Amino acid sequence: MAYLECRNLRRNYDAFNLELNLDMQKGELLSIIGPSGSGKSTLLSLISGIESVDSGSIILDGVDITDMAIQKRSIGMVFQDFSLFPSMNVAQNIQYGMKTRDQGAKDKRTAELLSLVGLSGYESRKVFELSGGEAQRIALARAVAAEPQMLLLDEPLSALDAPLRKKLRTVIRHIHDNTGITMLYVTHDREEAFAISDRILVMRGGHMEAIGTPEDLYNNPPTLFAATFTGEGSVLEQYSKTLFFRPESIILDNVESYDASQYLKLCGCEVQSVEYAGNGYGVKLDYKGTIITAFTAKRPAQKAVDLMVKWDDIRQFD
Amino acid sequence: MKRRGDDFYLKQALLALVITTIVFFLPIGAVFLRAFSDGRAFVSTFTDRYTWKILGFTLWESTLSAAISVLLALPFAVFFSRYTFAGRKAILTMSDAAFALPSILAILGFVIYYGNNGLVNAALKAISGGRWTVKILYSFKAILLAHVYLNFPVAFSLITTSLSSMPDKEEQASRLLGASEIKTFFKVTLPKVWGMVLATFTLIFLFCFPSFLIVMTLGGNPRYFTIEAEIYKRTYTDVNPAASAALAIFSFLVMTLLLVITGYGREEKKVSRSRRVLKKTKGNSKIKAIVLSTLIFLFMAPPLLSILYRAFFTKDNEFTLKAWKSIVTKSRNGVSTSLNSILNSLFVAGTSAFLAMRMASSIAIGAVRRKSRFIPLLTSLPMAVGSVSLGLGFAFISARIPSRSIVLAYTMVLLAHIVCILPFAVRTIMPGAKRIPQRLGQAAKTMGKEDRDIYRKIEYPLLKAYRRRAFAFAFALSLGEVNATLALSEGKVTTLPILIYKMIDQYNYQGASALAVILLTIAIVVFAIGETKGDENGIS
Repeated sequence: MAYLECRNLRRNYDAFNLELNLDMQKGELLSIIGPSGSGKSTLLSLISGIESVDSGSIILDGVDITDMAIQKRSIGMVFQDFSLFPSMNVAQNIQYGMKTRDQGAKDKRTAELLSLVGLSGYESRKVFELSGGEAQRIALARAVAAEPQMLLLDEPLSALDAPLRKKLRTVIRHIHDNTGITMLYVTHDREEAFAISDRILVMRGGHMEAIGTPEDLYNNPPTLFAATFTGEGSVLEQYSKTLFFRPESIILDNVESYDASQYLKLCGCEVQSVEYAGNGYGVKLDYKGTIITAFTAKRPAQKAVDLMVKWDDIRQFD
Repeated sequence: MKRRGDDFYLKQALLALVITTIVFFLPIGAVFLRAFSDGRAFVSTFTDRYTWKILGFTLWESTLSAAISVLLALPFAVFFSRYTFAGRKAILTMSDAAFALPSILAILGFVIYYGNNGLVNAALKAISGGRWTVKILYSFKAILLAHVYLNFPVAFSLITTSLSSMPDKEEQASRLLGASEIKTFFKVTLPKVWGMVLATFTLIFLFCFPSFLIVMTLGGNPRYFTIEAEIYKRTYTDVNPAASAALAIFSFLVMTLLLVITGYGREEKKVSRSRRVLKKTKGNSKIKAIVLSTLIFLFMAPPLLSILYRAFFTKDNEFTLKAWKSIVTKSRNGVSTSLNSILNSLFVAGTSAFLAMRMASSIAIGAVRRKSRFIPLLTSLPMAVGSVSLGLGFAFISARIPSRSIVLAYTMVLLAHIVCILPFAVRTIMPGAKRIPQRLGQAAKTMGKEDRDIYRKIEYPLLKAYRRRAFAFAFALSLGEVNATLALSEGKVTTLPILIYKMIDQYNYQGASALAVILLTIAIVVFAIGETKGDENGIS
């Protein structure tokens, strides 16, 4: 049985309806990605109890929590804006939700958690003295300190700059692996989702578009939307089908002999732009008015090139 | 959408609201009962041409006072919100402090400074060999001048703060497009601040409408009586409580109507986080800064400084400590009347401000969390009643209670003060309550905490700065309160401003000045406490 079950979850708004079924296993880290307004944060609000559902049920570890008050659900949450309590210092923030009354145990646990998020010795710091990255780590430690059964993270890194985001996503995975806590993680950054998740849920217009492991979603996206949303690629209408392939699947070198039945060959592509990316070249090509994105090890030698893609690497959609 | 767990906030606010309702509606009910006990007086009040004439004058004096205050303040505010210079902060702080300036001090200052035998006239006589004198007091212009004196700083401070918080990108764009400074002001700046200017005008209008003490002491003529002054006169001079109660109801209806009209459509605008960068003065602007600062100082400081002077010098300019000695001279019961009034003032202001602040915190957070527009409206109702009318209501109640105990007199004074100051305390705390992000509560709830705990440990401490400001403001208002206390206590509870008022009435200006210096000192100390920084843990 799943640890978290969202059954026929429904929430209607004037301009948007959320309808969803979702299962999560204990200890899993599931990320939700999707365009703005696809219902990612709404789903978290419903699970946490900040908003109430119109119909359907939410079961956590066998207990129906659908109509339970927020504070009874044992679901922690980390917000984008940190939401640290300004009238308390770091230690007081972390200890606020702790279940034990023993101050010694509280202090010990605080030190452990601070070490876990890489901020040992920060106990007496005031929260407004912290940088964005530090504040979010404290928010993480605080959420974990309350020993929730599950942790929801609502775009926790989107207020931070790119290098810090990269660093902190590792911290989040580290916390997950150390505590074994079940995490539901909303992000608009697919790279972030790929980096830390066990599974990824792609949402669109309040519905589940696709769900799977990062590798699955990248290599075998079930829909064209999931394909384009989970990474770069080119969409080509051919043989009354929609073909989709990733940039790295494209071969631009002239291959002397090959099995034609195994490859799609597009002749007479015109190179539009070449961008050097350190580990290769991002190439934009025009094939009869369709823009094709390729990634190659070598810079194309000519303006007009032929390209090949292995049929095995092409996804076909009706 | 279902609501969860907001009941705590409703209960919190409800308790405070019930108390407010009781202490507000009881006296108002008493006034109504008294008014309807004599149907003839009630009808004649509403049909009497004299009533409408007083209303006309009251509306006229408040409109004029508010308009002059705002128009005078506008150019000063525009300059002060554009430039930074030495002394700017001091002038702004002085203006903020004027919010808490008891009107009795303005009255005394005016009498000593602008009076027929005051310092201005003494100086003019000295210069002209006795030929030049100005007659300001006991006229309509004295009322206007005093109202402007008390409210110009209010307008100046509010408009400056509002302007300073607005980014001036539009103005810069206008200037870059070649518009002149004047065109930019009228086409870009004024439309932006128009709402604020109108709100300031309304606020001052509502302050001046129930004006009582200034009218009574500086008007010097029943021709210049406002509705509140007439209510007092009918109660204590004509001894016609039914007629005064009828007029109080009339006043209540007019004020409620005004509050509804002026409150209609008023929306709070979100203040942009990006503030304007103030320019440093140089050349012409430096001269302007000096001139404008001097003008403000010359307008505001002399009446107050003349109180200080008169507290130590006789009319013949001889140094004396007589007035100060009489304050500490023991009377038969062990404490001098002056000392007794000081202690009374501290007790009444301290207690009522503390209770008002506690109630206001619950009401403000309750109103914000429940997203209620009714709660703030209910708590601002006392503003629709002049404090003389309120005092009258409490006087009617205490007349029905057989006990003549001093405890009852103090209780009534305290209740009257709480009703008068609560709307201001709520208004002071409300912006703070609105600034507490709802997310904090949600975050705490996800850690298993109940509303009570969230209120006690997170929200209430965050309001520390606002509570302190509300306490200081409420304390200052209670400290300067004369109208309700005078109308209610029948001499049993003599507070500092009441004693000053009596001394002015007896032409004992020196005694009044010494007490006024004490009153001013207390007001300044309380104001300083209210403005203290160092609440880095809270929101401010």
